[in-house]
Amino acid sequence: MATASTQASSAVPTLSGERTVNWPKRVKSKLANGLEIILVESHSIPRFHGELFFRSGNAAVSHLAPGLADMTATMVRTGTSKRASRQIEEDLRRLGADLSTSAGQDTSAIAFAGLSEFAESLLGLVNELAREASFPDPELERERRQKLEEVKLERTQPGFLAGERLRKVLFGEHPYAKVSPAEAQVAAYKKEELQTIYRQSYTPENALLLLVGDLDPKAMFGTIEKIFAPWSGKKPAIPHAAAPANPRGRRVYLVHVPGAVQTQILCGCHSITRRHPDWIKLGLTNSLYGGAFNSRLVMNIREAKGYTYSPRSGVTPLQQHGYFSVSAAVRNEVVAASLTEIFYELDKLRSLPVPEAELADAQNYLSGVFSMGLATQDGLLSQVATVALNELPDDYLETYRQEVRALTPDDLQSTAQKYLDSANMQIVVVGDRGKIETQAALFGELEICDSQANRLS
Amino acid sequence: MKGPQIAIENKTLANGLRVVIAPDSAAPVVTVGVYYKIGFRLEPQGRSGFAHLFEHMMFQGSANAPKMEHIKLINSSGGVLNGSTMYDVTNYYEAVPSNALSRVLWLEADRMRALKVDDENLKNQRDVVKEEVRVNVLNQPYGGFPWLDMPPIAFRNWANAHNFYGDFADLDAASLADVQTFFKTYYLPNNAVLLILGDVKPEEGFSLAEKYFGDIPRGPEPPFADPNEPPQAEERKGHVEEKFGTLPAIAIGYVLPKRRSAEWCAMALLDQALHGGRAGRIYRDLVLEKQIAVEADGGVDDIFGYNGPAQMTTRIFHKPEISAGATLAGFDEVIHEVQEKEISTDELEQLKIKWWSDYYAMLEGGRGGYMPKYGLMHLLACFSLFDGEPQLVNTILDGFLQVTPEQVQAVAKKYLRRENRAIVFRAPANPGAQKEAA
Repeated sequence: MATASTQASSAVPTLSGERTVNWPKRVKSKLANGLEIILVESHSIPRFHGELFFRSGNAAVSHLAPGLADMTATMVRTGTSKRASRQIEEDLRRLGADLSTSAGQDTSAIAFAGLSEFAESLLGLVNELAREASFPDPELERERRQKLEEVKLERTQPGFLAGERLRKVLFGEHPYAKVSPAEAQVAAYKKEELQTIYRQSYTPENALLLLVGDLDPKAMFGTIEKIFAPWSGKKPAIPHAAAPANPRGRRVYLVHVPGAVQTQILCGCHSITRRHPDWIKLGLTNSLYGGAFNSRLVMNIREAKGYTYSPRSGVTPLQQHGYFSVSAAVRNEVVAASLTEIFYELDKLRSLPVPEAELADAQNYLSGVFSMGLATQDGLLSQVATVALNELPDDYLETYRQEVRALTPDDLQSTAQKYLDSANMQIVVVGDRGKIETQAALFGELEICDSQANRLS
Repeated sequence: MKGPQIAIENKTLANGLRVVIAPDSAAPVVTVGVYYKIGFRLEPQGRSGFAHLFEHMMFQGSANAPKMEHIKLINSSGGVLNGSTMYDVTNYYEAVPSNALSRVLWLEADRMRALKVDDENLKNQRDVVKEEVRVNVLNQPYGGFPWLDMPPIAFRNWANAHNFYGDFADLDAASLADVQTFFKTYYLPNNAVLLILGDVKPEEGFSLAEKYFGDIPRGPEPPFADPNEPPQAEERKGHVEEKFGTLPAIAIGYVLPKRRSAEWCAMALLDQALHGGRAGRIYRDLVLEKQIAVEADGGVDDIFGYNGPAQMTTRIFHKPEISAGATLAGFDEVIHEVQEKEISTDELEQLKIKWWSDYYAMLEGGRGGYMPKYGLMHLLACFSLFDGEPQLVNTILDGFLQVTPEQVQAVAKKYLRRENRAIVFRAPANPGAQKEAA
């Protein structure tokens, strides 16, 4: 016995045969008023998750002011023609439910989760929020004040300042350049504007209702029809967006935060959206570069050099344009050293083929993690939503793993050459100018501003 | 409202390792956790932050899996992994496609058996941890508020009152000898529980546990310092300067009843009455109605997972034009109300439905979309290590669902007293700074 267990303990066990990954059926339908519906069964717990998406967000109304769709979403839960704010909150609790309303660049959404036995009541409340929000004046003034404090506070967060700067540099006149409103813009938000946005974009033609959980699709469809059929409204007209900036050459943008004891680095360049045929290739390339714990970037600047706690890279696939970015919060002394390694790893992937074994590891990682969405209701919802909102093929979930596994070292190298555009990466560093300016200037022409986005040099 | 009926099987190996298996073949995914009964509360004096630094060292190499091998083997099996240090436990966990179960167990057993790390690994992770502290605390507005601010103000026993992330001088003083001593003292099969949840058959799980962990020698029962506090006779207050943020903030913490005492369930529901989202009395009164504050949240951090003094803590970010005193008076009115007047049966019923619903949600997920059953794992681990009874997962709800309005009022009177609380004032150092730059 002792011999057997000693042997067992010194060699890495091989993987046993893989169980088939079976994605549950997505039951799709559409009401006469245009509302798209997708229902998915997942009976792990007696609850369900749902989201009512509207296919327009802050970008669609950014010509009026940044963040207007977000403020509209915020107001949606503060009162309806039938229920005051307090009633809404207590009713949610009575249904064992959570609910949030928000808007990103491309969508607005009412997200909710609760007990299956109260699904009809919760959907009734969601319907009411989507159709009968009353925008009470005192609630707007309260939310406005909270938003004003929030926009002041976000200017003290290094991650926010870095992201804001990068988006501005990458997108220029395009709506995606603006991630948050200025105080004066929040102060000037008008109730009528918010109500117009609500009327125009919270419509069934613009909507997708997605439910995942302990539900019977047939019965649930009947419930949905009963509740949402009387709703009506057209798809909103979305103004044409200006082309994004296309910055050439590396430039460095320093956001000066006096007294910062660490530097937030964020580098980025344009890449692609999820609908692009190269998306899965870029996903794998990113995963191998800096998208996983076991990635080159993390191994280098965290595990070998100890410069940072949480380096990572990612692709942000907004609907109209996507961008690739690399981030790390590093100690002030190693800003230049970290940037050197970030670019070294980018250029290495562009120049040399990935060894087969490393590629196989990355393929296994990405395909394994992708399937983990199966195991929870909210994981499933997020996967199904991604497919639906990006209008990906119906069998996207089923074919993803084999597509990942079919990629070759050549695919990765050509993808890196196309999209890890190191020569044109824009570099943002947020930190104390006195400690990092000379290091930052080594990487390109330097522009310095303060946390309020005022140009300093 | 019926409780869950989760299939749970458990046994203890000859070396004292507890093994708990909760099979569920719905998805081809298995979640594995190893919990050690040592957290940052009882780390060695003079070594603040050590339990957490040590957690990082557990990823740096073991007898047969050198540095990076552990992470590489999990990721390349299609899985994710992490660890976290809490007050009274430290966990290491993985979620992987179920065909990687043997590999995960082998890895966890290898690092339970022998840690193989050197000075370079220690220096590397000390640097990483310092950046973790900077990114989460020192370079963030309201970093560490109030979880690092509160302990030295609220408590007198070093175990509860020290800096859990670690003073940098203490991190620097930590040596490789400290690492091995800590490992030999606490990282023992008889001070741990192994959890296997999801796509596994119980007999297979137990047999693999025996195969990989069975020959790890038992160690002497670890010594645990007394975490109890001397009696508190006064309200405690302290001030912490906010370096970056723009709003004055206050945190109020009340010491909780002992876990699993008769008052514990009533306290949990009182916590929900006060902190349960936007319907909770604190948010409703201070943010939505009186509009003293622009944000108010908090509550009991981990009602099932503490094994020493713990608090229910409220965080309030108040309007600068309203004084800290007036804000606190507004908060005290909310507290006064639950002490003077029973909550209605209707409110209590709402709280119970929400509690029940939240409990199920916690079991299923609980830590992001990519760590299935994290919550179930955590509960099974705490019920094993603290109570010796993992099956409590299926019955613990009953006590909460039987709480009466009188019991809620009684715990409000007994625990929400000034002599049982501590207050942290975190005011911006330079509230005008934001204007100067313009």
